[in-house]
This record gives sequence, C-alpha cells and structure tokens, in this order.
Amino acid sequence: MTEPGASSGAVRIDPLIEDYGLLGDTRTAALVDPAGSLDWMCVPRFDGDAIFGRLVGGEHAGHFKLGPAGPVHGVERRYRTDCNTLETTWRTSSGTLTLSEGMVAEVNGQLLPATMLVRRMTAQGGPVEAVLEFDPRLGEAHRRPHVAHRAAGLVCSWGSIAVSLRLTPFVAVQPGLTHVVTVEPGRPLTCVLTVADREPLVQVDPDHAWAVLEQDERRWQRWCRDVDDQMPRRPAVIRSLLTLRLLTYSPSGAPVAAPTTSLPEVVGGVRNWDYRYSWPRDASIGVGAFLGVGKQAEARAFMAWLLSATRLDRPRLPVLLTLHGKHPTAEHELTGWPGYAASTPVRVGNGASGQHQLDGYGWVLDAAWSLTSAGHRLYSETWRTMAGFADRVADHWREPDAGIWEMRSDMAHHVHSKIMAWLALDRALRVAQTHRTSATRLNRWRTERAALREEIGVRGFDAAKVTFTRTYGSSDVDAALLVLPQLGFESADSPRVLGTIDAISRELSAGGPLLYRYPPGNDGLPGREGAFLPCSFWLVSALARSGRVQEGVALFDELLELTGPLGLYAEEMDPETHHQLGNYPQALTHSAVVQAALALRDAGVTD
Amino acid sequence: MDWAGWALFGLLATTGLTALMIAAQLGGLSRLDLPLILGTVVTPDPDRARVAGFFFHLVFGQCFALGYAACFVLLDSATWWIGGLLGLLHGVIALTVLIPMLAGVHPRMASNRSGPESTAVLEPPGLVGLNYGAQTPLVALAAHLAYGVALGALLQVR
Repeated sequence: MTEPGASSGAVRIDPLIEDYGLLGDTRTAALVDPAGSLDWMCVPRFDGDAIFGRLVGGEHAGHFKLGPAGPVHGVERRYRTDCNTLETTWRTSSGTLTLSEGMVAEVNGQLLPATMLVRRMTAQGGPVEAVLEFDPRLGEAHRRPHVAHRAAGLVCSWGSIAVSLRLTPFVAVQPGLTHVVTVEPGRPLTCVLTVADREPLVQVDPDHAWAVLEQDERRWQRWCRDVDDQMPRRPAVIRSLLTLRLLTYSPSGAPVAAPTTSLPEVVGGVRNWDYRYSWPRDASIGVGAFLGVGKQAEARAFMAWLLSATRLDRPRLPVLLTLHGKHPTAEHELTGWPGYAASTPVRVGNGASGQHQLDGYGWVLDAAWSLTSAGHRLYSETWRTMAGFADRVADHWREPDAGIWEMRSDMAHHVHSKIMAWLALDRALRVAQTHRTSATRLNRWRTERAALREEIGVRGFDAAKVTFTRTYGSSDVDAALLVLPQLGFESADSPRVLGTIDAISRELSAGGPLLYRYPPGNDGLPGREGAFLPCSFWLVSALARSGRVQEGVALFDELLELTGPLGLYAEEMDPETHHQLGNYPQALTHSAVVQAALALRDAGVTD
Repeated sequence: MDWAGWALFGLLATTGLTALMIAAQLGGLSRLDLPLILGTVVTPDPDRARVAGFFFHLVFGQCFALGYAACFVLLDSATWWIGGLLGLLHGVIALTVLIPMLAGVHPRMASNRSGPESTAVLEPPGLVGLNYGAQTPLVALAAHLAYGVALGALLQVR
C-alpha cells in the first residue's frame, strides 16, 4: 500500500492566495492549497512558530500533503454546509479522490489535545493512488524534529513542542519523504495530527478523531442556525461569520486580523506585514457585525477582550496587541525566507504598534454604544474605561495622527480620524445618558464634539468638489470616509455625504466594483498596492444607507462573484487579474461583508 | 504560637500584599488582579467582584499566615529574612501552581483549550502569569516577598 521515495524537490509554483482553504479551531489555523498541501500552520496558537511554513518560507519550511499521485483531470473545492470542514475532490483517470479535513474546535471537558487536525481521503469509482508528504519544520531556522516511531504512530518533537501523526490504515511515515498509498473505495485513509506544547501528547485514534470532527461540524451547524434566514446573500454571510469566529482566539476572545504573515500586497514587493495580532478597531467592528446577526456572546467576548487587553495602556488605546494583550515584539525580518512568490522580506512583529491613531477610539466607543443599544448595560469598570477613552480624545484630537491606514510616513490631520474622534465623543455622550457621569465631563465632551464638527466642516471639506477630504487642505479623498452614512455625523442622504460617496467612487475606482483605499502611489512605499476589499464592501453599506439600495445590491453581488468557491477574502485584490493580495483570510474584509449585508437587510433587502 | 499576632499581622500583611498588587496594576506593570479573579467566581460584575474578591483574599491570606506562623514555631525563630524566604517560596508556588490551576476550576476563566462554546471571559493566566503582562512574575514575587518579610518581622515565636 505504501511506497516511500525521496521528496520530489521539483520547483514549485506558488498557488494563488485565494486558492488556499482555511482550517481552524479558534486557537490556531492552517491553510491548504488545491493540491492538498497544508502549507501554513503555527503552533500552539496563531502567533506561534510555524511548523508548516512553506507558504512564505520556501521548500524547507515544512508542509503536509495528501493528494492524488497521478495526473488530475479536475478539482473541486467547497466547505461542507454551514461548517468549517473543507472538501477537495480530484478527478483522476482511475477514480475520484476526496480529501475532507478540519480542526476540532471544541475540546474542553474531553481528553483531547488542544490542537487536533483530522484529514480523511476517500476514493470513489476505483482505487486511487495518493501521495503523503509529512515534513514538519519549526520556526525561523526550519528546524528538523527529533523523530520517534512509536506503537501509536510517529512523534516529532522540538523541546517542549511535540507533534504526533497517526494513520488508519497504518502507514510507516518518514518525515521529509514522499509516500505513495492506494486508497480503495470503502476504505478511507484517515490521519490525525495532534500537537502538545509543554504538556503530554494526547494520542487519538484516527477513526475516533473523525467522529469528534463530525460532532464539531454539527456544533458549527447549530451555531449558524441563529442567523436570520432572510439575511441577504446568506451563504456568503455565513462563511464570513464562520471565518470571523475561526479568527477569534477563544482563550482570550482576541480577534486575529489574519492567520498569516507577509502575504504580499504587491506580488514580488516589500509590502509584507505580520497580521497575527489583534487590532482594537477590528474587535469593535466585529462587535457590530456579531450583534447585527444576533450573536450576543461573541460581541460581548470582543468587548471583554478590549477591556482586559487595554488595561496596561489606559487611557491610551494601543493600535494593536498580541492575543493576550501584550505589545508585539519588535518587527524583524526572517533570514532566508523567500516569501510568497519571491515577495520579501517576511516579517514577524508589527511596527505599526507604536503609532498614534485617533480613529480607534471612535470604533471602540461605537461598539460600546452598540452593546448599550442592544440592551446590555455596561459594567461600571467598562464605562470608566470608555469615559477615559473619551477624555483622551477630548485632550488629543487637535494633534495629527497616523490615520487608519497606518502609513509609516509623517503624521497628518486625517479627516476620517477627526470624524471618528467626533464619533467617540458622540457615542460617549449617548452612553452617558444611562450611565453615571459628572456634569463637568459631559459639558467638556459636548464642547469638544461641537468644536470637532465645526473644524471638520471648515478644514476637512472641499466645497468645490462637494466632498470630505483625506486630510485637512488636501484635494484627495479617502475610502475610509465611506463609513460616514452609518455614523450620524450628517444625515446619510445629505449632499455632503452623497458627494463624498460619489467622489470616492469616481476618484478611487480600481475598475469594476473595486476601490483603492487612497490615491495609489501616495504612501511612500515602492510598488502599487491593490484594491482594498473592505472599502468596496463599505461602499455597499454606504449606498444602502443613503437610499441607493439597488446600486448597493448590484455592487454586493459583483463583489461576491469575485471570490473563489470557498468564499474567503484577503485584504486586497489585484484590479487587473482579480487575484487576491495580502494576508489571508482577513477578518476586516469579512466583517465588512457582514456589515454590507446588514445594511442591505436594514434597507429592506432579503435573500 | 502568637495567635494575637497572627490575627492582626496576617490581616495587615495580606492588605499590604493586595495594595502592592493594585499599585502595580495602576502603574501599568501587570494585569493580574487577584480580587477580580477571586470575586468573579461569585459574580460577573467587575466592581462587585473586586469587593467580594478582596474579602476572599483576606481570608486566604489569613490562612497562609497561619502556615507562616507554624513554620516560625517549627524553626523556633521569626525573622524578616526567614519570612522573606517563605514569601518567595509562597510567590513561586502561587505563580506556578495556584494561579495556573485556577483555569481548571474558575467558572468564568477560559483555558488555553477554550473553544467556541466557551462563555468564560477571563483570560487564562498562562505560564507564571505571563498572559497578564511580562512583569507579572516579578510583581507577584515582590508582593509575596513583602508579605513574608512583614510576617517574619512582626510575628513572634512563643
């Protein structure tokens, strides 16, 4: 049944970013390409070291492949309905081979490992030869493991981290070699990979692991049932919600921006960043998205994380934090990592963490207001924290900031940041109506809110073009301003808001439904970045909320058609090839998908 | 056994330990909040939890002080430095055994294994409390050292 050979070593062409499928357990995640190669997985959590890092680390960074050995006549991929189990089906000359795989999310209260990946290959129509390549390497230096063949299976270890691989039927796997196995119809090949970090390995029988994964599928399907049947484009919204949940680190409630580092915003370029961190802004947007679909517990968990994680910095709101609320390590480049499609450097850490970004306060206070509006009274401590943020905005809004797009050039007076500062004070005043606050404080917030509105109207608006601008005095526009209609800063159908939407659609168009986030070539970095996907979905929301519902529906449908069969989105898209760019999948984009659907639903659109 | 000293100075040392931990939080050194962690066993409201947790902590502190007093009797000596050594040992045990074990029994504390169905909102402390900030182990050790020094200096062997 098995025939080991030397690893092929052939030059590998990187699969497209959108071709990767996401597996996850809400503690870490893996990416699998259409050939069945698992090319990215960090342990023991999202921001740990990669044990399979070929996605950006090159041939020697580790991978785990299960797929057909011979030529393939066609491949189809899908997620099973309303869950996170991925299915890849290959048509070969001898039969059809299907790889079904997933990670078990719910292990609490059971003797199961915290990280358990289950992969099963089944054949139909005849026996199919398949390859198995298991080559785990740890960290920056692609360290080979200490290998032990035990009765229960293969154990690879690196100090405190150990990985176990078991298969049914048994295959004597040698790390780094290619094994050819024959999968017979009715006799699936099931693998279970378990990980232990500073604890004993828990060995799980592959068939039992498969049963546990099926239980997990049913849990996810129950989770999805809460989502309104009439939600516009419900399957896409469900996929986005499932992705958002997979990207929420359950032990702390932190939302991970993306499970990857350094997938490029320009192929072959240097715009490669580490997104395995949590942005309070994303958590706040997630609160709105989850509340909008009735997922109260998830919304509250995000707020709890915000409260806990920001504790050491209050009243300052950090731009980004680790999954446990610490400051990221200094950004550095991984030596010898060739990057995705030769896009170097590959970075870990994130240099944006030291920036001053005013808009974050607006998002966070808006999330607190959303929770309050949904009937949740804030605990006294939560309100004290929010009031502290509002005070800080009142103290600092006159200063320039780095803006939502985290440019590493000079600070500026970003109009979007000022509007979000206005939002922070406005939402603080609204929440204060039901929470105890001193009259002095309220008066101060009112005064500063009024001053912000006046200054934005005078310095942040271009009367000739009838649009709010990117920075004070500039004539550029900024796609972040598409959030205007949902803020209440001005009436959603006011000439100034409608003018801004039109100016952004016109001046930042990247062709079709796509938008750049700011005028290209304006950020001081080499290369031209792609269209920024969240902005396109924000345009859907803006159109829906400003009364142009049919335009919004048409745009939403166009955008949904741009993704692959798996329904996952990165941060950006190449406007010409429509290939996805940047870290993948991206929580902010998926939040924007949900926001767009909610805006359409609120405008009366049903599925 | 110095029963009167135990009753009074146990209370005093525990209050001092709690105050040091709170000062470290306010100073941005650590997010370890023992009154909050202990009190959220009985209520999810952070403010109420801190009040309840403070009293729980006093009770626990008093119990530990009994252990210190017993050690001093066994050693037939109570000095600030013996108390300090016991305090360091106490701190190490708290960081490596007691606090990490909380994730297994606390109804509102998540663990590193928590999944989507978990409704626990307190993050787990992690190895030696590092999830609550890089300086947490030092803060906890310093607070327990002060607790032990206070008991060693104030309790008498009778």
